[in-house]
Amino acid sequence: MTHPFLSIRNLRKAFGAIVAVHDVTLDIPRGEFLTFLGPSGSGKSTTLYAIAGFQDPTSGDVLLEGKSLLAVPSHKRNIGMVFQRYTLFPHLTVAENVAFPLRVRRRPDADVKKKVADMLALVRLESFAGRLPGALSGGQQQRVALARALAYDPPILLMDEPLSALDKKLREEIQGEIRRIHRQTGVTILYVTHDQEEALHLSDRIALFKDGRIEQTGTGEDLYLRPATDFVAGFIGNSNFLAAEHLGTTNGTTTIRMTDGSVISGVRANGTFGKGQKTRLMIRPEAFSMERSPASAELNVEIVDIAFYGERRRIVARIAAGQEVDIRPTSAMQSQDVWPCSRQVFFDPAAAFLFPA
Amino acid sequence: MLLDYDRMGWLRVALLGFTALVAGFLLLPVVFIVLLSFGSSRWLAFPPPGWTLKWYQELFADPAWLNAALTSARIATMTAILAVAIGLLASFALVRGRFAGREILRGLLLTPMVLPVVVFAIAIYAFFLRLGLGGTTIGFVIAHTVLALPFAIIPIATALEGFDKSIEDAAIVCGASPLEARLRITLPSIRIGIFSAAIFSFLASWDEVVVAIFMASPSLQTLPVKIWGSLRSDLSPVIAAASSLLVGLTLALMVMTALLHRKFRT
Ligand SMILES: Nc1ncnc2c1ncn2[C@@H]1O[C@H](COP(=O)(O)OP(=O)(O)OP(=O)(O)O)[C@@H](O)[C@H]1O
Ligand SMILES: [Mg+2]
Repeated sequence: MTHPFLSIRNLRKAFGAIVAVHDVTLDIPRGEFLTFLGPSGSGKSTTLYAIAGFQDPTSGDVLLEGKSLLAVPSHKRNIGMVFQRYTLFPHLTVAENVAFPLRVRRRPDADVKKKVADMLALVRLESFAGRLPGALSGGQQQRVALARALAYDPPILLMDEPLSALDKKLREEIQGEIRRIHRQTGVTILYVTHDQEEALHLSDRIALFKDGRIEQTGTGEDLYLRPATDFVAGFIGNSNFLAAEHLGTTNGTTTIRMTDGSVISGVRANGTFGKGQKTRLMIRPEAFSMERSPASAELNVEIVDIAFYGERRRIVARIAAGQEVDIRPTSAMQSQDVWPCSRQVFFDPAAAFLFPA
Repeated sequence: MLLDYDRMGWLRVALLGFTALVAGFLLLPVVFIVLLSFGSSRWLAFPPPGWTLKWYQELFADPAWLNAALTSARIATMTAILAVAIGLLASFALVRGRFAGREILRGLLLTPMVLPVVVFAIAIYAFFLRLGLGGTTIGFVIAHTVLALPFAIIPIATALEGFDKSIEDAAIVCGASPLEARLRITLPSIRIGIFSAAIFSFLASWDEVVVAIFMASPSLQTLPVKIWGSLRSDLSPVIAAASSLLVGLTLALMVMTALLHRKFRT
């Protein structure tokens, strides 16, 4: 049997009474860019630190190519890491920082020089080699940290919210750099963020964390189009949750009744529901359309507000029960199309998900 | 804020005046001594009838004075080295350690700063007499190290608290063993605290007189002890010259520390 490249088995970490990580199991193939996404305190960093060796798990295992890493001390794991905070060595120049991991490995001088030059070229900071970290911007510091973490060709690179201290524009720029570096080096990356856009933009796969567990693992598309739970649906992208009553499921077709009494058939059900069970229907704002199409279901709303967002319009509408619904139709439309105030909007039931209330 | 300096109006002038007065009151004796050390009057008349360097010549010609100065320097240097070494280890324990009794240990290590020196001096004198350490260089250094420890621990612990442990962790993932990471990354990063600790503990020993009087023997005298002894036998301007040198070195070291701090800040 071949082993998965990196494997996290039933990882659990408790700090006294606080359980930071409950039970995390995950296989990561070589070369993958996997992101840990999730709200603050969901155990992303703790999981990452267990892989780096800074936290000893309470139970569970971390295996690299089938061999447990737990008995290996941090400095012998040969893992690269970029931290959330700036961790360049303040008294060493940029070049000396990048050279540090090679120096502690007693690599010959010529190799070190060449590797440092290669790494600084990789992060496009050749001309900064002689500077001290204090004379660099935050973005430049994190790029040097990236160069330092990759200098010894580690098989795994861990990144714990490396861009969270940077402003949006810079963040996007460095995200591009990270993607390019991932392509060029083929290193396996585990990346932590609580920014869903960053996760969607960067990763091959996303592991969505909640309360010390993985709620769902999959590609961005999986999580967006096929959310396993209402938490995933609510965390990734925008979503409306409308109260509904489950009337019945026959031959795989689920029928529900909305609060205004209208009946809709053919929504996607996650799990099985009892007859008359209270449920919530999740509809993405962009799943709404202003025109009826053959397969569409309808929703009676009152238009409250329309805002122009350039590429699309954003409509705030209200259903009879008083709840506001976020609508961002993708189809072209004229502003007069959405008036009058009271009208119907349409959506494909197959793009609406039913979750327990 | 109520006591915002920029908004105090005329009170500002009063405050400045008062501060100047206090500073003057504290510094004036030192200024007098320095002036007297250059004065030509053997009887320390003020203002001096003329100016001369002969008291300094006399000072440097007398091997007893020179000896005392060298003894002081030797003891202060050893004290500084020992206090910094112990201070470093203690600071790591106090800042990084998570163990029961940490606060008690911190309190104990800092006690010499608040304990009346004479109490400490009598206690350690009695204790060292029994151990046969009275009047020895080792005894001197140990006693002064205890006194200097708070002055070593405070700057080092402060620097260590300000040093982000993630930087050390980064060195460790880079492949450095924990010891190597501390020696090659953490220590250089907190060097300003270590320098300050060295200078402060040197000074704590250099101008210490109470414990020194108890520890001294006729053959082992530090500069402050020699000054104290000479004061009681004959009041000569040579003492003023010796005192001025003492003050001079202290001042030079303080200025050096201030300059270092400024350099590191930028
Ligand atoms: N050393 C520690 N001692 C006690 N509790 C801790 C410790 N480290 C983490 N925790 C707790 O464990 C939980 C998970 O923390 P963790 O840092 O893994 O979350 P995270 O997902 O990385 O969150 P964030 O996005 O805020 O960084 C939190 O409730 C946190 O308070
Ligand atoms: Mg975290």
